Amino acid sequence: MIATFLRSTALGLTFAGAAWAADPSLDLVGPLSDYKIFVAENTAQLVTDTEALVAAIKAGDVEKAKSLFAPTRTSYERVEPIAELFSDLDVSIDARADDYEKAEKDEAFTGFHRIEYGLWEEKSTEGLDLYADKLLADVTDLDGRINALTFPPEVVVGGAAVLMEEVAATKISGEEDRYSRTDLWDFKANFEGSEKIYTLFRPLIEAGNADFVAKVDGNFKAVDEVLAKYRTPDGGFVSYDELTDSDRTMLSAKVNTLAEDLATLRGKLGLG
Amino acid sequence: MTDIQPRAGMGLAVAAAAMLAVAGAGAFWYATQKNAAATRDQAADMTVSVGAKTCEPMDITVPGGRRSFEIVNASDRPIEWEILDGVMVVAERENIAPGFRQTLAVQLAPGDYAITCGLLSNPRGTLHVTPSDEAAASASEVTLRKFLGPLSEYRVYLVMQSNAAVKAAEKLRDAIAAGDLGAAQAAWKAARIPYRHVEPLAWRLSDLENAIDPNAAYLAGREDDPDFTGYHRLEYGLFRQNSTEGLAPIADRLVADLDQLSGRLKAMELDPQLLVALPGAMAGQLATAHVPAGENHYAGNDLEELEASLDGIGKLSGLLRGVVAGVDPALDKDIGAAQDKVAADLAGLRQGGAWPPYDQVADDRRRQLAGSLAGLQTALDRLQPVIGIN
Repeated sequence: MIATFLRSTALGLTFAGAAWAADPSLDLVGPLSDYKIFVAENTAQLVTDTEALVAAIKAGDVEKAKSLFAPTRTSYERVEPIAELFSDLDVSIDARADDYEKAEKDEAFTGFHRIEYGLWEEKSTEGLDLYADKLLADVTDLDGRINALTFPPEVVVGGAAVLMEEVAATKISGEEDRYSRTDLWDFKANFEGSEKIYTLFRPLIEAGNADFVAKVDGNFKAVDEVLAKYRTPDGGFVSYDELTDSDRTMLSAKVNTLAEDLATLRGKLGLG
Repeated sequence: MTDIQPRAGMGLAVAAAAMLAVAGAGAFWYATQKNAAATRDQAADMTVSVGAKTCEPMDITVPGGRRSFEIVNASDRPIEWEILDGVMVVAERENIAPGFRQTLAVQLAPGDYAITCGLLSNPRGTLHVTPSDEAAASASEVTLRKFLGPLSEYRVYLVMQSNAAVKAAEKLRDAIAAGDLGAAQAAWKAARIPYRHVEPLAWRLSDLENAIDPNAAYLAGREDDPDFTGYHRLEYGLFRQNSTEGLAPIADRLVADLDQLSGRLKAMELDPQLLVALPGAMAGQLATAHVPAGENHYAGNDLEELEASLDGIGKLSGLLRGVVAGVDPALDKDIGAAQDKVAADLAGLRQGGAWPPYDQVADDRRRQLAGSLAGLQTALDRLQPVIGIN
């Protein structure tokens, strides 16, 4: 009973706000749950968009399928910190050819990038039906699993930096969408996903971190401005090949700074 | 995916050059690897070397608690290293360049895990985490942090289900406005389900509760009382009077009240004490009121609603059992058993795959179900002294 009493006292102090500032606060509940709703909306959209992509593939309409490929992916890329918690689905939905021994010819190579390879490299929907069906089954499964998941708070908050680290490490190089060159769509979605997390938790930290908040806000804005230059009139993005070296360098620098700064969010919110 | 540009046969020097060719990314890389080097000085519990085909060692055993692993990339392509619990990623280090090493520290509960070793096609290794005092102490600790996930998940549930309640009530309103009795009766039954899901918290908002869910038996003028509004007033019209006549304004008001409820539930500040109190109180209310007396006197579909209520209680208890399992495993088990008993009693009332009208459920069966629900309440109420706040 003494142990219980001590526990209760410790909790009581935390709730009273008397504990040290780095303790997590109940104020996290609002943004944490809002984030899950954001993720659930995205995975629901992913299922809807994938259905349309699958329909285009099955109709043998290469051009339509190509036009749907990049926008469909954005819902996945926005919520990747949570989606990639399910390692089996992350592999079957989004693995690249490099992850496999026989690269593009490997039988286990499935998902978005296998479809991308078919549409752009093989210029055909032939043989893609099976991959399309599998992709739809996988994203539907993902949507269900995410709805059933209690999100780990540290993964949610850490996700803001994780997305930027991924862009820095594996996307700036342009390897993600190597066949379609639609990388800028993924970039934008990764930034949106990261900024969403940051924006949800910003009210909890801005009081004591005015400089930090101003810097991160400024870097997100700078990234937006660079990406805006590459927008097409229909709301999409031009080929990644058109990104100039100076803009690539600029983006890269901003991404690295964002990754480093956002990596401090967990500590600032008592989730270190 | 998080793997980075692995290309078979690419040597260390080439890989490093390729990384550095992208200026900013190179700087980030440098920083990452420098950090990794800095943490290397603190001895890790275990060093794992990832080669082209396997990890060395492939089978690891460590005691539970906070453990650190130094991952050495001995292959010729960048790797990520993951600890997996089934299909779920427990922890990972991404983006380790050939020849480099990084340290991963993670809190591990006793159990069997898998570790990834380079290429997806490579065999996975195993990680056995054995019981330890450290792991037991951390599992039994009750902290606010352990409640953050459950509280957030419950808030999501409240938002989703109360939105669903509004949408279902709109459908009911439309069927009533169209004068379609059959569609309205079906819509009424469907509209009750999401409401029963949020009822453990919704019934505490007494002003709204009195407008949304009053029972004629508690009103002076019974069915003729002007305060007889909400779901049961519509039920009375649709199932007793068999008509949609005059129900449109009541349905409009129900939609408006549920909309308000949804906003209030969304704005409510949830805390551990409240969360711990909700499921036991709801089980108790079912045991003492709904089951003995019935609630849907005109539609008689009480059993399907009881099932929905159990789902609502189950959402709460599932979240709380995640917190209590490490602190008091016996209580966790007792709650599970009490829930199974209620579910079995309820399932035993089904006839030919359907729920019979509640007036056909005999008193002794009602008493049995009420008894099981009281047992569930007793088990759930034990949560408070174990993980609640006095």
